[in-house]
Amino acid sequence: MGEVMTAQGRSLPADDTVDLREIGFRSLDFSELALRVEDELGDELNFDAPGLRRIATVGDVLDFIEQLQSA
Amino acid sequence: MNARRKTTALIGDDNTVVVAGKRLTWRTLHKLPQLPSPAAVLVDNGADALAALRHHAVHGTELLVATDSRVDQHMREELGESGFAVVLPDGAVTPAKLKRVEESGRAWLLTSGSTGRPKRIGHTLETLTTVTADQPPRTWLLPYSPGTYAWWQVVTLSLTQPDQGLVVIEPDELDDWPAIAAEHGVTAASGTPTFWRQAIYRNADALGAVPLEQITLGGEPVDQAILDQLREIFPKARISWIYASSEVGASIVVHDGKAGFPKDWLDRQPDPDRPMLTVEGDELVIRSPHHGAGLVGAVHTGDRIEYDGDRVLITGRLDTDEINVGGSKVSAGLVRNVLMGHPGVAWARVFARKAPLVGRMVAAEVVPNRALGPITDADLVQWCSTRLPDYGVPRRIKFLDEIPQKETLKSDV
Repeated sequence: MGEVMTAQGRSLPADDTVDLREIGFRSLDFSELALRVEDELGDELNFDAPGLRRIATVGDVLDFIEQLQSA
Repeated sequence: MNARRKTTALIGDDNTVVVAGKRLTWRTLHKLPQLPSPAAVLVDNGADALAALRHHAVHGTELLVATDSRVDQHMREELGESGFAVVLPDGAVTPAKLKRVEESGRAWLLTSGSTGRPKRIGHTLETLTTVTADQPPRTWLLPYSPGTYAWWQVVTLSLTQPDQGLVVIEPDELDDWPAIAAEHGVTAASGTPTFWRQAIYRNADALGAVPLEQITLGGEPVDQAILDQLREIFPKARISWIYASSEVGASIVVHDGKAGFPKDWLDRQPDPDRPMLTVEGDELVIRSPHHGAGLVGAVHTGDRIEYDGDRVLITGRLDTDEINVGGSKVSAGLVRNVLMGHPGVAWARVFARKAPLVGRMVAAEVVPNRALGPITDADLVQWCSTRLPDYGVPRRIKFLDEIPQKETLKSDV
Protein backbone atom coordinates (compact mmCIF):
# COMPACT_ATOMS: atom_id res chain seq x y z
CA MET A 1 0.00 0.00 0.00
CA GLY A 2 2.94 2.24 0.75
CA GLU A 3 4.34 1.58 -2.73
CA VAL A 4 1.06 2.61 -4.35
CA MET A 5 0.97 5.80 -2.31
CA THR A 6 4.64 6.56 -3.00
CA ALA A 7 4.12 6.09 -6.74
CA GLN A 8 1.47 8.82 -6.45
CA GLY A 9 3.87 11.10 -4.60
CA ARG A 10 2.04 10.57 -1.30
CA SER A 11 2.86 8.68 1.87
CA LEU A 12 1.06 6.07 3.91
CA PRO A 13 -0.03 7.36 7.32
CA ALA A 14 1.09 5.42 10.38
CA ASP A 15 -2.44 5.35 11.79
CA ASP A 16 -4.43 2.39 10.43
CA THR A 17 -7.75 3.98 11.37
CA VAL A 18 -7.36 6.83 8.89
CA ASP A 19 -10.25 7.00 6.42
CA LEU A 20 -9.23 6.16 2.85
CA ARG A 21 -11.09 9.22 1.58
CA GLU A 22 -8.98 11.47 3.77
CA ILE A 23 -5.73 10.29 2.21
CA GLY A 24 -7.15 10.18 -1.32
CA PHE A 25 -6.79 6.40 -1.69
CA ARG A 26 -9.25 5.81 -4.50
CA SER A 27 -10.67 2.89 -6.44
CA LEU A 28 -7.80 3.00 -8.92
CA ASP A 29 -5.28 2.85 -6.09
CA PHE A 30 -7.04 -0.10 -4.50
CA SER A 31 -7.16 -1.85 -7.87
CA GLU A 32 -3.47 -1.24 -8.39
CA LEU A 33 -2.74 -2.67 -4.99
CA ALA A 34 -4.76 -5.77 -5.86
CA LEU A 35 -2.78 -6.23 -9.08
CA ARG A 36 0.49 -5.84 -7.18
CA VAL A 37 -0.64 -8.59 -4.82
CA GLU A 38 -1.63 -10.78 -7.76
CA ASP A 39 1.80 -10.28 -9.31
CA GLU A 40 3.49 -11.14 -6.02
CA LEU A 41 1.43 -14.30 -5.65
CA GLY A 42 1.58 -15.17 -9.34
CA ASP A 43 -2.10 -16.04 -9.27
CA GLU A 44 -5.41 -14.34 -10.11
CA LEU A 45 -7.37 -13.27 -7.05
CA ASN A 46 -11.07 -13.79 -6.59
CA PHE A 47 -12.45 -10.62 -5.11
CA ASP A 48 -15.58 -10.66 -3.01
CA ALA A 49 -17.52 -7.59 -4.13
CA PRO A 50 -19.79 -7.27 -1.03
CA GLY A 51 -16.70 -7.47 1.14
CA LEU A 52 -15.12 -4.57 -0.70
CA ARG A 53 -17.81 -2.20 0.47
CA ARG A 54 -16.69 -2.63 4.06
CA ILE A 55 -13.23 -1.34 3.31
CA ALA A 56 -13.15 2.20 4.60
CA THR A 57 -9.86 2.60 6.42
CA VAL A 58 -6.19 1.86 5.86
CA GLY A 59 -6.52 -0.99 8.32
CA ASP A 60 -9.44 -2.47 6.35
CA VAL A 61 -7.28 -2.53 3.21
CA LEU A 62 -4.39 -4.20 4.97
CA ASP A 63 -6.69 -6.78 6.58
CA PHE A 64 -8.35 -7.51 3.27
CA ILE A 65 -5.05 -8.03 1.48
CA GLU A 66 -3.82 -10.24 4.29
CA GLN A 67 -7.02 -12.26 3.99
CA LEU A 68 -6.49 -12.68 0.26
CA GLN A 69 -2.90 -13.75 0.71
CA SER A 70 -3.81 -16.41 3.20
CA ALA A 71 -6.84 -17.65 1.25
CA MET B 1 -9.42 -28.58 -71.10
CA ASN B 2 -9.55 -25.24 -69.35
CA ALA B 3 -8.93 -22.08 -71.30
CA ARG B 4 -6.21 -20.69 -69.10
CA ARG B 5 -5.57 -17.00 -68.82
CA LYS B 6 -2.18 -16.07 -70.22
CA THR B 7 -0.94 -13.13 -68.22
CA THR B 8 0.97 -10.21 -69.66
CA ALA B 9 2.13 -9.20 -66.19
CA LEU B 10 5.73 -10.41 -66.45
CA ILE B 11 7.28 -7.05 -67.28
CA GLY B 12 9.64 -7.51 -64.37
CA ASP B 13 10.80 -10.98 -65.41
CA ASP B 14 14.41 -9.82 -65.71
CA ASN B 15 14.44 -7.96 -62.42
CA THR B 16 17.07 -9.11 -59.97
CA VAL B 17 15.98 -11.54 -57.26
CA VAL B 18 18.47 -12.29 -54.48
CA VAL B 19 17.68 -15.47 -52.58
CA ALA B 20 20.00 -17.10 -50.05
CA GLY B 21 22.77 -14.78 -51.23
CA LYS B 22 22.39 -15.87 -54.88
CA ARG B 23 21.71 -13.24 -57.48
CA LEU B 24 19.09 -14.47 -59.94
CA THR B 25 16.18 -13.00 -61.85
CA TRP B 26 12.53 -13.98 -61.87
CA ARG B 27 13.20 -15.71 -65.18
CA THR B 28 16.16 -17.72 -63.86
CA LEU B 29 14.52 -18.80 -60.61
CA HIS B 30 14.20 -22.57 -60.38
CA LYS B 31 11.00 -23.95 -61.87
CA LEU B 32 8.36 -26.00 -60.13
CA PRO B 33 7.42 -28.71 -62.62
CA GLN B 34 4.07 -30.43 -62.60
CA LEU B 35 2.48 -27.97 -60.22
CA PRO B 36 -1.18 -28.96 -60.00
CA SER B 37 -4.04 -26.50 -60.16
CA PRO B 38 -5.75 -25.66 -57.88
CA ALA B 39 -2.73 -26.01 -55.61
CA ALA B 40 -1.92 -24.97 -52.08
CA VAL B 41 1.85 -24.69 -52.13
CA LEU B 42 3.33 -24.83 -48.65
CA VAL B 43 6.87 -23.56 -48.55
CA ASP B 44 9.71 -23.36 -46.07
CA ASN B 45 11.75 -20.79 -47.97
CA GLY B 46 11.25 -17.62 -50.00
CA ALA B 47 12.70 -18.96 -53.26
CA ASP B 48 10.09 -21.70 -53.58
CA ALA B 49 7.32 -19.17 -52.89
CA LEU B 50 8.58 -16.89 -55.68
CA ALA B 51 8.87 -19.85 -58.04
CA ALA B 52 5.26 -20.83 -57.28
CA LEU B 53 4.10 -17.28 -57.89
CA ARG B 54 5.91 -17.05 -61.23
CA HIS B 55 4.43 -20.38 -62.28
CA HIS B 56 1.00 -18.99 -61.42
CA ALA B 57 1.69 -15.78 -63.37
CA VAL B 58 2.90 -17.66 -66.45
CA HIS B 59 0.29 -20.40 -66.52
CA GLY B 60 -2.70 -18.70 -64.93
CA THR B 61 -3.18 -21.49 -62.41
CA GLU B 62 -5.21 -21.32 -59.21
CA LEU B 63 -2.78 -20.90 -56.34
CA LEU B 64 -2.60 -20.52 -52.62
CA VAL B 65 0.92 -20.08 -51.28
CA ALA B 66 1.79 -20.01 -47.59
CA THR B 67 4.50 -21.11 -45.22
CA ASP B 68 3.99 -24.68 -44.07
CA SER B 69 4.18 -23.59 -40.42
CA ARG B 70 1.05 -21.51 -40.91
CA VAL B 71 -1.14 -24.30 -42.25
CA ASP B 72 -1.88 -27.00 -39.71
CA GLN B 73 -3.10 -30.50 -40.48
CA HIS B 74 -6.74 -29.56 -40.03
CA MET B 75 -6.43 -26.71 -42.51
CA ARG B 76 -4.59 -28.95 -44.98
CA GLU B 77 -7.52 -31.33 -44.88
CA GLU B 78 -9.94 -28.44 -45.37
CA LEU B 79 -7.94 -27.32 -48.39
CA GLY B 80 -8.07 -30.84 -49.84
CA GLU B 81 -11.82 -30.93 -49.32
CA SER B 82 -12.08 -27.56 -51.09
CA GLY B 83 -10.37 -28.91 -54.18
CA PHE B 84 -6.72 -27.98 -53.55
CA ALA B 85 -3.86 -30.38 -54.08
CA VAL B 86 -1.51 -29.68 -51.19
CA VAL B 87 2.16 -29.40 -52.20
CA LEU B 88 4.58 -29.80 -49.31
CA PRO B 89 8.05 -28.22 -49.03
CA ASP B 90 9.73 -31.49 -50.04
CA GLY B 91 7.63 -31.62 -53.22
CA ALA B 92 5.26 -34.33 -52.03
CA VAL B 93 1.72 -33.76 -53.27
CA THR B 94 -1.48 -34.74 -51.47
CA PRO B 95 -4.15 -34.85 -54.20
CA ALA B 96 -7.35 -32.88 -53.74
CA LYS B 97 -10.21 -34.81 -52.20
CA LEU B 98 -12.73 -32.79 -54.19
CA LYS B 99 -12.40 -32.71 -57.95
CA ARG B 100 -13.51 -29.37 -59.35
CA VAL B 101 -12.78 -27.00 -62.21
CA GLU B 102 -10.03 -24.55 -61.40
CA GLU B 103 -10.69 -20.83 -61.15
CA SER B 104 -8.16 -19.71 -63.71
CA GLY B 105 -5.92 -16.93 -62.45
CA ARG B 106 -7.27 -17.04 -58.90
CA ALA B 107 -4.75 -16.30 -56.14
CA TRP B 108 -5.81 -17.15 -52.61
CA LEU B 109 -4.53 -15.43 -49.52
CA LEU B 110 -4.85 -16.48 -45.92
CA THR B 111 -5.85 -13.64 -43.65
CA SER B 112 -3.55 -13.03 -40.71
CA GLY B 113 -5.97 -14.83 -38.43
CA SER B 114 -5.61 -12.31 -35.61
CA THR B 115 -9.26 -12.89 -34.73
CA GLY B 116 -9.23 -16.67 -35.04
CA ARG B 117 -8.40 -19.24 -37.69
CA PRO B 118 -7.02 -17.89 -40.95
CA LYS B 119 -9.59 -17.73 -43.73
CA ARG B 120 -9.15 -17.66 -47.49
CA ILE B 121 -9.64 -14.48 -49.47
CA GLY B 122 -9.73 -14.70 -53.28
CA HIS B 123 -7.76 -12.29 -55.46
CA THR B 124 -6.09 -12.19 -58.85
CA LEU B 125 -2.71 -10.81 -59.84
CA GLU B 126 -4.56 -7.74 -61.09
CA THR B 127 -6.36 -7.02 -57.81
CA LEU B 128 -3.14 -7.63 -55.88
CA THR B 129 -1.13 -5.27 -58.07
CA THR B 130 -2.03 -1.94 -56.52
CA VAL B 131 1.10 -0.06 -57.63
CA THR B 132 0.59 0.58 -61.33
CA ALA B 133 2.20 4.00 -61.84
CA ASP B 134 5.79 4.06 -63.13
CA GLN B 135 8.27 3.69 -60.29
CA PRO B 136 11.87 4.87 -59.99
CA PRO B 137 14.34 1.97 -60.17
CA ARG B 138 14.54 0.31 -56.78
CA THR B 139 15.77 -2.76 -54.98
CA TRP B 140 13.16 -3.94 -52.49
CA LEU B 141 13.68 -5.86 -49.31
CA LEU B 142 11.27 -8.79 -48.97
CA PRO B 143 11.09 -9.70 -45.27
CA TYR B 144 7.45 -10.79 -45.27
CA SER B 145 6.22 -14.29 -44.79
CA PRO B 146 5.20 -15.84 -48.17
CA GLY B 147 1.52 -15.64 -48.98
CA THR B 148 0.61 -12.71 -46.76
CA TYR B 149 -0.98 -9.65 -48.34
CA ALA B 150 2.14 -7.58 -47.70
CA TRP B 151 4.28 -10.26 -49.39
CA TRP B 152 2.01 -10.21 -52.45
CA GLN B 153 2.24 -6.42 -52.58
CA VAL B 154 6.03 -6.43 -52.81
CA VAL B 155 6.34 -9.40 -55.17
CA THR B 156 3.69 -8.19 -57.61
CA LEU B 157 5.42 -4.81 -57.74
CA SER B 158 8.67 -6.55 -58.66
CA LEU B 159 7.04 -8.87 -61.18
CA THR B 160 4.97 -6.24 -62.96
CA GLN B 161 7.28 -3.20 -63.03
CA PRO B 162 10.71 -2.80 -64.62
CA ASP B 163 13.78 -2.20 -62.44
CA GLN B 164 12.22 -3.37 -59.17
CA GLY B 165 14.67 -5.89 -57.76
CA LEU B 166 14.04 -8.06 -54.72
CA VAL B 167 16.23 -9.19 -51.85
CA VAL B 168 14.53 -12.03 -50.01
CA ILE B 169 15.04 -12.25 -46.26
CA GLU B 170 14.43 -15.67 -44.79
CA PRO B 171 13.18 -15.95 -41.17
CA ASP B 172 16.64 -16.97 -39.92
CA GLU B 173 18.11 -13.85 -41.54
CA LEU B 174 15.72 -11.39 -39.89
CA ASP B 175 18.11 -10.46 -37.08
CA ASP B 176 20.78 -9.38 -39.57
CA TRP B 177 18.74 -8.07 -42.45
CA PRO B 178 20.35 -4.60 -42.49
CA ALA B 179 23.76 -6.13 -43.27
CA ILE B 180 22.29 -8.21 -46.11
CA ALA B 181 20.33 -5.21 -47.40
CA ALA B 182 23.41 -3.00 -47.37
CA GLU B 183 25.43 -5.67 -49.19
CA HIS B 184 22.87 -5.93 -51.99
CA GLY B 185 22.08 -2.22 -52.24
CA VAL B 186 18.50 -2.33 -51.01
CA THR B 187 16.91 1.08 -51.55
CA ALA B 188 13.32 0.35 -50.52
CA ALA B 189 11.87 -1.66 -47.66
CA SER B 190 8.44 -2.39 -46.32
CA GLY B 191 7.81 -3.77 -42.85
CA THR B 192 5.59 -3.59 -39.81
CA PRO B 193 6.32 -0.98 -37.14
CA THR B 194 7.53 -3.89 -34.99
CA PHE B 195 9.97 -4.87 -37.75
CA TRP B 196 11.39 -1.35 -37.89
CA ARG B 197 11.53 -1.02 -34.12
CA GLN B 198 13.43 -4.29 -33.92
CA ALA B 199 15.96 -3.04 -36.45
CA ILE B 200 16.51 0.21 -34.55
CA TYR B 201 16.67 -1.62 -31.23
CA ARG B 202 19.20 -4.18 -32.41
CA ASN B 203 21.58 -1.89 -34.24
CA ALA B 204 20.56 1.55 -35.45
CA ASP B 205 23.98 2.13 -37.03
CA ALA B 206 23.66 -1.01 -39.16
CA LEU B 207 20.19 0.12 -40.22
CA GLY B 208 21.48 3.57 -41.09
CA ALA B 209 24.04 1.99 -43.44
CA VAL B 210 21.27 0.70 -45.73
CA PRO B 211 20.84 3.19 -48.60
CA LEU B 212 17.06 3.45 -48.18
CA GLU B 213 15.14 5.89 -50.33
CA GLN B 214 11.68 4.47 -49.64
CA ILE B 215 10.51 3.22 -46.25
CA THR B 216 7.05 1.76 -45.86
CA LEU B 217 5.23 0.73 -42.71
CA GLY B 218 2.01 -1.26 -42.44
CA GLY B 219 0.24 -4.20 -40.89
CA GLU B 220 -0.02 -2.64 -37.43
CA PRO B 221 -1.04 0.74 -36.02
CA VAL B 222 1.68 3.24 -36.94
CA ASP B 223 2.61 5.70 -34.20
CA GLN B 224 4.36 9.03 -34.51
CA ALA B 225 7.39 7.90 -32.49
CA ILE B 226 8.48 5.25 -35.01
CA LEU B 227 7.94 7.63 -37.93
CA ASP B 228 10.11 10.24 -36.19
CA GLN B 229 12.84 7.74 -35.34
CA LEU B 230 13.04 6.58 -38.95
CA ARG B 231 13.07 10.17 -40.16
CA GLU B 232 16.04 10.89 -37.92
CA ILE B 233 18.00 7.95 -39.33
CA PHE B 234 16.89 8.54 -42.93
CA PRO B 235 16.38 12.30 -43.32
CA LYS B 236 16.07 12.11 -47.11
CA ALA B 237 13.99 8.96 -47.57
CA ARG B 238 10.32 8.98 -48.44
CA ILE B 239 8.53 7.47 -45.44
CA SER B 240 5.06 6.11 -46.09
CA TRP B 241 2.57 4.14 -44.09
CA ILE B 242 -0.06 1.96 -45.65
CA TYR B 243 -3.32 0.57 -44.37
CA ALA B 244 -3.90 -2.66 -46.25
CA SER B 245 -5.50 -6.01 -45.71
CA SER B 246 -6.42 -9.11 -47.67
CA GLU B 247 -10.05 -8.02 -47.54
CA VAL B 248 -9.82 -4.41 -48.78
CA GLY B 249 -6.37 -4.26 -50.33
CA ALA B 250 -4.14 -1.20 -49.99
CA SER B 251 -6.68 1.45 -49.04
CA ILE B 252 -4.85 4.23 -47.24
CA VAL B 253 -1.39 5.48 -48.21
CA VAL B 254 0.13 8.38 -46.29
CA HIS B 255 3.41 10.05 -47.23
CA ASP B 256 3.50 13.16 -45.02
CA GLY B 257 5.44 11.60 -42.17
CA LYS B 258 2.55 11.89 -39.73
CA ALA B 259 0.62 9.21 -37.91
CA GLY B 260 -3.01 8.83 -38.96
CA PHE B 261 -4.57 10.25 -42.11
CA PRO B 262 -6.22 13.61 -42.82
CA LYS B 263 -9.78 13.82 -41.56
CA ASP B 264 -10.97 15.27 -44.87
CA TRP B 265 -10.25 11.92 -46.54
CA LEU B 266 -13.40 10.63 -44.87
CA ASP B 267 -16.58 10.71 -46.93
CA ARG B 268 -14.90 12.03 -50.07
CA GLN B 269 -16.83 12.05 -53.33
CA PRO B 270 -17.13 8.49 -54.67
CA ASP B 271 -14.48 7.59 -57.22
CA PRO B 272 -14.45 4.06 -58.68
CA ASP B 273 -10.64 3.97 -58.67
CA ARG B 274 -10.18 5.14 -55.11
CA PRO B 275 -11.15 3.53 -51.80
CA MET B 276 -13.98 5.24 -49.91
CA LEU B 277 -13.30 5.70 -46.23
CA THR B 278 -16.05 6.19 -43.68
CA VAL B 279 -16.49 5.75 -39.95
CA GLU B 280 -19.43 3.98 -38.33
CA GLY B 281 -19.47 4.40 -34.57
CA ASP B 282 -15.74 4.30 -34.07
CA GLU B 283 -15.08 1.61 -36.68
CA LEU B 284 -13.27 2.22 -39.95
CA VAL B 285 -15.39 1.16 -42.93
CA ILE B 286 -13.87 0.87 -46.42
CA ARG B 287 -15.28 0.42 -49.90
CA SER B 288 -12.28 -0.50 -51.98
CA PRO B 289 -11.59 -1.20 -55.67
CA HIS B 290 -8.79 -3.52 -54.48
CA HIS B 291 -11.12 -5.74 -52.46
CA GLY B 292 -11.02 -9.51 -52.39
CA ALA B 293 -13.56 -11.66 -54.24
CA GLY B 294 -17.07 -11.38 -52.79
CA LEU B 295 -16.19 -8.33 -50.73
CA VAL B 296 -17.83 -5.70 -52.92
CA GLY B 297 -19.26 -2.75 -51.01
CA ALA B 298 -18.67 -1.61 -47.47
CA VAL B 299 -16.27 -3.74 -45.46
CA HIS B 300 -16.32 -3.25 -41.71
CA THR B 301 -12.63 -3.49 -40.93
CA GLY B 302 -12.89 -4.19 -37.20
CA ASP B 303 -10.31 -1.46 -36.68
CA ARG B 304 -10.99 1.34 -34.24
CA ILE B 305 -10.32 5.00 -34.95
CA GLU B 306 -9.94 8.09 -32.80
CA TYR B 307 -9.85 11.69 -33.95
CA ASP B 308 -6.83 13.81 -33.08
CA GLY B 309 -7.32 17.33 -34.38
CA ASP B 310 -7.44 17.12 -38.17
CA ARG B 311 -6.11 13.55 -38.22
CA VAL B 312 -7.80 10.18 -37.93
CA LEU B 313 -5.71 7.71 -35.95
CA ILE B 314 -6.19 3.96 -36.32
CA THR B 315 -5.63 2.81 -32.76
CA GLY B 316 -6.15 -0.95 -32.85
CA ARG B 317 -8.77 -3.67 -33.05
CA LEU B 318 -12.28 -2.81 -31.93
CA ASP B 319 -12.54 -5.76 -29.59
CA THR B 320 -9.32 -5.07 -27.71
CA ASP B 321 -8.47 -1.40 -28.16
CA GLU B 322 -11.06 0.15 -25.89
CA ILE B 323 -10.41 -0.42 -22.20
CA ASN B 324 -13.25 0.38 -19.85
CA VAL B 325 -11.82 1.46 -16.49
CA GLY B 326 -14.74 1.82 -14.10
CA GLY B 327 -16.92 3.37 -16.82
CA SER B 328 -14.21 5.64 -18.25
CA LYS B 329 -12.98 4.49 -21.63
CA VAL B 330 -9.45 4.76 -22.94
CA SER B 331 -7.80 3.56 -26.14
CA ALA B 332 -4.98 1.07 -25.62
CA GLY B 333 -3.46 2.37 -28.84
CA LEU B 334 -3.34 5.94 -27.59
CA VAL B 335 -1.82 4.88 -24.27
CA ARG B 336 0.73 2.92 -26.25
CA ASN B 337 1.53 5.98 -28.35
CA VAL B 338 2.22 7.93 -25.15
CA LEU B 339 4.52 5.20 -23.84
CA MET B 340 6.29 4.95 -27.19
CA GLY B 341 6.85 8.70 -27.06
CA HIS B 342 9.13 8.24 -24.02
CA PRO B 343 12.72 8.25 -25.27
CA GLY B 344 13.61 5.33 -23.02
CA VAL B 345 11.01 3.02 -24.55
CA ALA B 346 11.86 0.87 -27.57
CA TRP B 347 8.56 -1.03 -27.72
CA ALA B 348 5.34 -1.23 -25.73
CA ARG B 349 2.15 -3.25 -25.58
CA VAL B 350 -0.88 -1.99 -23.69
CA PHE B 351 -3.70 -4.20 -22.56
CA ALA B 352 -6.50 -4.53 -20.01
CA ARG B 353 -6.12 -6.40 -16.76
CA LYS B 354 -9.05 -7.58 -14.71
CA ALA B 355 -9.20 -5.64 -11.46
CA PRO B 356 -11.51 -5.20 -8.47
CA LEU B 357 -13.81 -2.15 -8.16
CA VAL B 358 -13.05 -0.74 -11.62
CA GLY B 359 -13.46 -3.94 -13.65
CA ARG B 360 -10.40 -3.40 -15.86
CA MET B 361 -7.14 -1.53 -15.46
CA VAL B 362 -4.59 -0.45 -18.00
CA ALA B 363 -1.39 -2.47 -17.90
CA ALA B 364 1.65 -2.53 -20.16
CA GLU B 365 4.69 -4.48 -21.25
CA VAL B 366 7.71 -2.44 -22.23
CA VAL B 367 11.09 -3.08 -23.80
CA PRO B 368 13.48 -0.33 -22.69
CA ASN B 369 15.79 1.42 -25.09
CA ARG B 370 19.16 -0.02 -24.07
CA ALA B 371 21.11 2.89 -25.45
CA LEU B 372 19.51 5.34 -23.04
CA GLY B 373 20.12 3.58 -19.73
CA PRO B 374 17.65 2.10 -17.26
CA ILE B 375 14.12 3.34 -16.75
CA THR B 376 11.73 2.38 -13.97
CA ASP B 377 7.99 1.85 -13.89
CA ALA B 378 7.75 4.98 -11.74
CA ASP B 379 9.42 7.00 -14.55
CA LEU B 380 6.84 5.74 -17.03
CA VAL B 381 3.88 6.21 -14.70
CA GLN B 382 4.98 9.80 -14.18
CA TRP B 383 5.45 10.32 -17.93
CA CYS B 384 1.96 8.98 -18.62
CA SER B 385 0.37 10.89 -15.70
CA THR B 386 1.18 14.21 -17.33
CA ARG B 387 -0.23 13.10 -20.68
CA LEU B 388 -3.21 10.89 -19.91
CA PRO B 389 -6.23 10.96 -17.61
CA ASP B 390 -5.81 9.02 -14.35
CA TYR B 391 -7.69 6.00 -15.59
CA GLY B 392 -5.49 5.77 -18.72
CA VAL B 393 -2.19 5.57 -16.84
CA PRO B 394 -0.79 2.03 -16.88
CA ARG B 395 -0.37 1.22 -13.21
CA ARG B 396 1.36 -2.14 -13.74
CA ILE B 397 4.27 -2.21 -16.15
CA LYS B 398 6.31 -5.29 -16.90
CA PHE B 399 9.72 -4.97 -18.54
CA LEU B 400 10.74 -7.44 -21.26
CA ASP B 401 14.23 -8.16 -22.56
CA GLU B 402 13.39 -8.45 -26.25
CA ILE B 403 10.80 -7.08 -28.66
CA PRO B 404 8.45 -9.98 -29.42
CA GLN B 405 7.89 -10.58 -33.13
CA LYS B 406 5.79 -13.21 -34.87
CA GLU B 407 6.29 -14.79 -38.29
CA THR B 408 4.03 -12.06 -39.71
CA LEU B 409 6.52 -9.46 -38.38
CA LYS B 410 3.80 -8.26 -36.03
CA SER B 411 3.80 -8.34 -32.24
CA ASP B 412 0.07 -8.28 -31.44
CA VAL B 413 0.10 -4.81 -30.04
